[in-house]
Amino acid sequence: MANVTLPELGEGIKSAVVSFWHVDKENRVGEGDDIVEMATDKATFNVPSPVAGTIREIMFQEGDTVQVGDTLAVIEE
Amino acid sequence: MAQRFPAWIKKRLIYSETACNLERLIDALALNTVCKSACCPNKSECFSQKKATFMILGKICTRSCGFCAVKKGRPLQPDKSEAERVTNAVKALGLNHAVITSVTRDDLEDGGARQFYDVAFKIKGETQARLEILTPDFRGKKEALDTVLDAHVDIFCHNLETVPRLYSRVRPEADYKRSLEVLKRAKKRIDTTKSGIMVGLGEREDEVFNVMRDLREIDCKSLTIGQYLRPTKRQLGVYEYVHPDLFNKYRMLALSLGFKHILSEPFARTSYM
Repeated sequence: MANVTLPELGEGIKSAVVSFWHVDKENRVGEGDDIVEMATDKATFNVPSPVAGTIREIMFQEGDTVQVGDTLAVIEE
Repeated sequence: MAQRFPAWIKKRLIYSETACNLERLIDALALNTVCKSACCPNKSECFSQKKATFMILGKICTRSCGFCAVKKGRPLQPDKSEAERVTNAVKALGLNHAVITSVTRDDLEDGGARQFYDVAFKIKGETQARLEILTPDFRGKKEALDTVLDAHVDIFCHNLETVPRLYSRVRPEADYKRSLEVLKRAKKRIDTTKSGIMVGLGEREDEVFNVMRDLREIDCKSLTIGQYLRPTKRQLGVYEYVHPDLFNKYRMLALSLGFKHILSEPFARTSYM
């Protein structure tokens, strides 16, 4: 299992908001595929999947605020 | 709720071993980068390509520019080991192009010029890297600027940041003409001078054109034009998200004025080119 976490985005940026998920639970994803779009005060970011596999858990819903380091999704490789 | 941005204000985060290793090295050598301190949206992309802009003279700035996320306050004294630490990073990364910038140090008599010289001299002397520096205005002190220029760097950058009308709001402690003088004086010693501006702060097209013309009058041939993005709620709001078509128009204008290197796109940043 691989946890997709929200990486550090810059000093002083502690969180980001989920704009929308490109994938659903149980979808297959390839390494580098965008899985979720996030927004900070500064811009929109697509977060890619670090591995190929199947999305087993989606931890946050659209509109939720996610802290840096939090797990966004769990992927089974 | 999440703020809505136009479709073109979007980046992809890049995870990579290279980026992780670079972050670890930066931490291990206790270095600062403007990439992190200014919350640059290009950070993960650049770090994945082993590109970073080292920020010397600490991470506390003495100026209070309205656009910038770097912390303001009373900085520490310059660190004597900084030249060695930055040079070690350039060596460890095997960089063939290194970029050094700094916070603005109005608290120091020479504005930090000596530290700039020491770092640049050591990198030039001990590595093969082409060296680009992005400096503050040293409050217009010619001796300070000359000290930095003595290091014979390859590329000298100083950002005008915005059009003169917006200086009082965007960079209140700076002066447009003084910044032009910095670039003009540097050009006498260094062939490649470069500047950058942000758009989306409320400037008009004709004002951007005038900035380009002013830069060409002092024979500056490299320019970056990028969208201002508000790093946090503490900084100035974005006046508008400039459409990619207008970025393209600015690029064509710059080429027609004789700029040799022009990067005009939403995520263009000075050391992104």
